[in-house]
Amino acid sequence: MTQKKYVLPEEKERRKLLKSPINGDGLMLLFEAGLIWLTTNQAYVNSLNVFPVPDGDTGTNMVLTMQAAFKEADENRTKNVGATAKAFAQGALMGARGNSGVILSQIWRGFSRALDHYETMDPNLLMRAMQEARNTAYKGVVKPVEGTILTVLKDMTTGAEEAVNQNAGLSEMLLRIVEAGDESVQNTPELLPVLKQAGVVDSGGTGLYYIFEGMLKMLNGESLDASGAVLKPLAELDLANAMETVEEGQDYEVVIDFAPHPGFSLEAYYAELEKIGTSIQVGEGEGIYRMHIHTELGKRYDPIAYTETQGIVKKIMMENLQDQMSGLNEAEEELALVPVNPGDIAVVAVSPGKGLSAIFASLGVAAIVEGGQTMNPSVQELLASFENLPTDRIIILPNNKNIILAAQNAAKVSVKKIAIIPTRNSPQGFAALLRLNPEGTLEENEESMKEAILEVHTGEITISTRSVEIDGVDVEKGQVIALYDGKLVSSTPTIEAAIESLIIKADMDEVERITFFYGEGLNQTQANQLADGVRKDYPNIEFEIHDGGQPHYQLIIAFE
Amino acid sequence: MTTQENPMGSIYILTQAIRTVARNAALQSYGVISLTPGTMGESVSKFLRKDSDYGVIVKTEDEGVSLELNLIIEYGLRIKTVTDLVAESVKYAVEKTMAVPVKRVDVHVRGLRVSNPD
Repeated sequence: MTQKKYVLPEEKERRKLLKSPINGDGLMLLFEAGLIWLTTNQAYVNSLNVFPVPDGDTGTNMVLTMQAAFKEADENRTKNVGATAKAFAQGALMGARGNSGVILSQIWRGFSRALDHYETMDPNLLMRAMQEARNTAYKGVVKPVEGTILTVLKDMTTGAEEAVNQNAGLSEMLLRIVEAGDESVQNTPELLPVLKQAGVVDSGGTGLYYIFEGMLKMLNGESLDASGAVLKPLAELDLANAMETVEEGQDYEVVIDFAPHPGFSLEAYYAELEKIGTSIQVGEGEGIYRMHIHTELGKRYDPIAYTETQGIVKKIMMENLQDQMSGLNEAEEELALVPVNPGDIAVVAVSPGKGLSAIFASLGVAAIVEGGQTMNPSVQELLASFENLPTDRIIILPNNKNIILAAQNAAKVSVKKIAIIPTRNSPQGFAALLRLNPEGTLEENEESMKEAILEVHTGEITISTRSVEIDGVDVEKGQVIALYDGKLVSSTPTIEAAIESLIIKADMDEVERITFFYGEGLNQTQANQLADGVRKDYPNIEFEIHDGGQPHYQLIIAFE
Repeated sequence: MTTQENPMGSIYILTQAIRTVARNAALQSYGVISLTPGTMGESVSKFLRKDSDYGVIVKTEDEGVSLELNLIIEYGLRIKTVTDLVAESVKYAVEKTMAVPVKRVDVHVRGLRVSNPD
């Protein structure tokens, strides 16, 4: 969904919101600000997942639920605050995605019930709406677990009650709600051990907090802009992607690690950087900030000089992008997909990276959907990939455990005959694809492909996004972790050690061939060196090395 | 899962334990208000044997189990999302705590509880 750029309401409008009771239009301004600020912080909320592999999507689910709610209310605009809230709640109900989305829809349902039949809303009514939201949300679960979005809502409501007792106005009341929410979010690990173990706060509660903080920021006239001052966790800095979107003339990429001086203002820092260059991102991890910017040739030392006034510079990286861009453009080739004739069996594969897509294409898939660990394709994207193919016999290879459900939903909606092979990673997808028999029936192919995925074992190597203990393995943030068939086997300082732990896990007497698909952070030379390290110990095993191009995972290894 | 040496005993204990785990996971899932007996047999055993794990039917299969859940859900929620989530979390809980593969989870919505009519 493409969104038009968000513009803060004019000062005059904001003053009106603060002075007079809120009508339908005013409520829409609040809802919109909440949605925008949540969207801005979506990646951060997603990163609060409990498992160390990046597969969280609470933020995305909440944003999609809020978008559906806003759209419904936007299409039924009215000055009546009760009717506006009701439409919003209806939209949230219909568009609820995931657990957090369902709870959020229930919150808005309670919220809207309190406003029913009211023309406008004053602080007292807002408090009652929050109370009703809390009561309704808690009714949805028999055994409420504390330390979740429900707890945060409860504490925010208490904040609202206190504000009303002190006759606070709207903006003061929202401030109290947001403060209570912040405190509550920070406290969630104390209530829910699994959060403490993973070293995170609750994601759903954090999402709810951002919705209300967005409302407050809008009232105060503060920016909600996504490109503005946002501090991301280091793991969320999308530098690879930023490199692809380089603008004309912005030839130099500068990355600086620094420890900010006390009193450092992120917003002032962003504002100054915006005068120097583009594609600005700032991340934080363990007290160190990392800044990323693109500048023109003449300004390439300016970010360094400025950052030195703001903190202690630890490390500087500078690259000429012009060089890299030419390489990127070469790689951007059209994939040669297999043409489909009426009545054929067409295979659709979900692929997380360019290199892997090329391999899928060469093995004969008819359509490829981009997607993977943190970017699950929607049911619509899956449907669109095969609905127009001139055949009604389709095989889907989801190639990720999180996409299997979406594939099943796509199959339910489609009128075509669809077989889903529950492949959990790309090597399983390749193994299944090699069994494709164009002459056979869909059922025969399905059976033989399902057998095939049992014959390949997969190792995956990635970097942990946080410190956690899982399956008895202690993982530290930033360490290399290895998964074997989806299970965590080790956490080590180096990729070499991670490979070794996978080799131990795989029964090497049974293995005939090992294939490396290298992705984020590795190049061909490095992958070759890593493979050589294994090859010298196992001279009889065949090795293959391919550019997978997948994000997040340095290596995907197939053992056959 | 079922052993030849001690067929009756091990089948009974394992199934019962799975039902307890599945039931608790279902009740912790958002939107699930209660479970309800799914068959007449279950209704009878709920009364006669004071079976407290009603609402979950476990069938043993070749390599794992299939589960049937009979649920009462809160009115006003998107049923499809709630049932998807409960199936997922019950499967996760059973596989995680008992290491028994769950082949399928069938969710039957037996009724809705209306705490607040709109």
